[in-house]
Amino acid sequence: MIPFRAALFSSLVLLAAPVCAHETAGKYGGRVSDAGPYHVELVTKGQTVDVYLLDGSEKPVPAAGFKATAILVVDGKPARVALAPADANRLTGQAQVPLNAAPKGAVQLTAPDGATASGKFN
Amino acid sequence: MKSPIAAALRALAVTLALLAAGQASAHEGHDHGAPPPPVSKTIAPRGEAVSEAFELVAVPRDGTLQLYLDRFRTGEPVTGATVEVDTPDGPKTAQATAERSYALPAPWLSKPGHYDLLVTVTAGDVVDVMPVSLDLPAPAAAAAIPAPVGAVQTVSDSVRAAVPEITHGLRERLAKQDPVLLTVAAGSFLLGILLMLVARGRRRVPVIAVLAITATVLLSATAFAHGDEDHGSEKPIQGAALIERAPGGAAPTDLAQRLADGTVFVPKPTQRLLELRTAMTEAGTFSRTIGLPGRVIPNPNASGVVQSSVGGRLSPPTSGLFPRLGTPVKKGDVLAYVTPPVARVDVSDMRQRQGELDQQIAIVQRRVERFSKLATSGAVAQVQLDEAQDELKGLRDRRTALDRIRSEPEPLIAPVDGVVAEASATAGQMANAGQMIFQIVDPKNLWVEALSFDALTAGQHATARLPDGRTFELTYQGSGLADRNQAIPVQFAIEGDASGLRVGQFLTVLAITDGQLSGLALPRAAVVRTSNGQDVVYEHTTAERYEARQVRIEPLDGNRVLIGGGIGPGKRVVVQGAELLDQVR
Repeated sequence: MIPFRAALFSSLVLLAAPVCAHETAGKYGGRVSDAGPYHVELVTKGQTVDVYLLDGSEKPVPAAGFKATAILVVDGKPARVALAPADANRLTGQAQVPLNAAPKGAVQLTAPDGATASGKFN
Repeated sequence: MKSPIAAALRALAVTLALLAAGQASAHEGHDHGAPPPPVSKTIAPRGEAVSEAFELVAVPRDGTLQLYLDRFRTGEPVTGATVEVDTPDGPKTAQATAERSYALPAPWLSKPGHYDLLVTVTAGDVVDVMPVSLDLPAPAAAAAIPAPVGAVQTVSDSVRAAVPEITHGLRERLAKQDPVLLTVAAGSFLLGILLMLVARGRRRVPVIAVLAITATVLLSATAFAHGDEDHGSEKPIQGAALIERAPGGAAPTDLAQRLADGTVFVPKPTQRLLELRTAMTEAGTFSRTIGLPGRVIPNPNASGVVQSSVGGRLSPPTSGLFPRLGTPVKKGDVLAYVTPPVARVDVSDMRQRQGELDQQIAIVQRRVERFSKLATSGAVAQVQLDEAQDELKGLRDRRTALDRIRSEPEPLIAPVDGVVAEASATAGQMANAGQMIFQIVDPKNLWVEALSFDALTAGQHATARLPDGRTFELTYQGSGLADRNQAIPVQFAIEGDASGLRVGQFLTVLAITDGQLSGLALPRAAVVRTSNGQDVVYEHTTAERYEARQVRIEPLDGNRVLIGGGIGPGKRVVVQGAELLDQVR
């Protein structure tokens, strides 16, 4: 039974992959991207970078214990922003320079158990 | 438990475990769009990332993280970029290496596990952040990572090998009336009856019956294994073969190879060595071209022949040397002299004439002298003296002209600038009247004459292709109305540098007709003919993989072919080094 189940599982994952691999608009007004087992929503406003943590079915995941780093491209230069848990499922941080509305970049998450995952925003 | 069946069972068990583990790790991390796991034992674990501008491959090796950065569209290595990697030890900058890659010392990679790295690339004014995932297997399982494909194959191999082994052994034993076999069979039978009896007593038939049958089968299997056969030679097909380790426990070396699914795996260092380059396919509309057989001819207005107008003996010009083949000459240069021979009868005729003239000159001379003396005294009219002087002058002119005609040769003069393309002059040679002595061609000003079955119209664009692959742009000059070999001669001028071409050389003229074609235009070098005669192009699917795509091609022009079908637009196709890629086995 194992291989059948595994095959079924993998085919489901493969089928699902192209569907949710794309960046979509999120409910906090940002962009949602995949980061490992999570979905992350990136919201930038002025110098503030907020990352909302969601699971695969868009349900909030408590941010406590998580760490994150965002590298965003601002005016052709990479800006590194360290993010710390704020409230509920939000991690927040301050950039050195003002950010535009939808910067290109990536967010790297470190879960409480040390596992890492990263999401890319174009 | 050394029997083939046991080996097969063990192999199966290991396979299932591997399959389950493989799927589990693929799912772990829920990594959409993650690169496919390595499918060969000789490929080290690696991570890939792509963006619109770049393609990145990260390979950990000997405590160093090698980063290969290429342009996404062309596959050209990006050098001189700043590559910053967010490692578990904080951000680090990778150093450029001589192999057009970037290296980062990574002691933290010694532990197996899953790593997510953020790579920030700054190349010129392009900045990109690319997440790369690395899965480092535990050293013991390192060799097992390779892959479900290999494992399944090995299992089926071992099963295939085991079945005939068993049947063969059984047949042999029966034939030999092997005491071990007989004993075991009898023992099993007895045991079965015994168990049945016990089971009947307790009225739990089905369970015990199954148990009995199982025990019987297992016992007989064991019995076969303990025969006198030597199983040592079967080791390679046993289950343990599945987790064979790299020789000496060394890290797997990356080798370009053709994988089981037909794709070609080419690691980045090999891609750099082969100078593989890709281009994005784009759909477009192109004019149909026709290929015509053609021949290089000299431009009629920039070439000339030097012919002798009279028959005569050739002699070199004042320099003393005839121009040789390839000698550059200028318009008006004297290339040779022709001295017309004087026939014997003419010589005597001229001598006679000479004598006559000399005689007349002597008479008139004397008359002039006499008249000039008498004219002073008025005995002879001045008019008579003048007439005598004029007569003398005329006779002397005729005598001089006769001398000159005998001695003066005819110069052969270059009619145009160019180089000597043909020369047939040797000193002392007798040239016939009208014979071509030299041909002068301007090598920078050549034309092409092609034979066309369709009437081409003016203003059409055409290119010429030599057998060695060089191409030249052509401009239509005109076409004849008189058929030659049932085709129309069409003349084109070669644009640009025509050096290296020879007059008379054959080439193919590709002329554009009015018909339009739509498809994908690719350089001719992108298409490779496989051993079965089909045309394929190699699509760059992931960072280190190329897939052969069968295509239908139509000629487009000298450099490009039109892909009529087999691949769509927006794909990366190898346009340089495709033949080398095709050699990978």
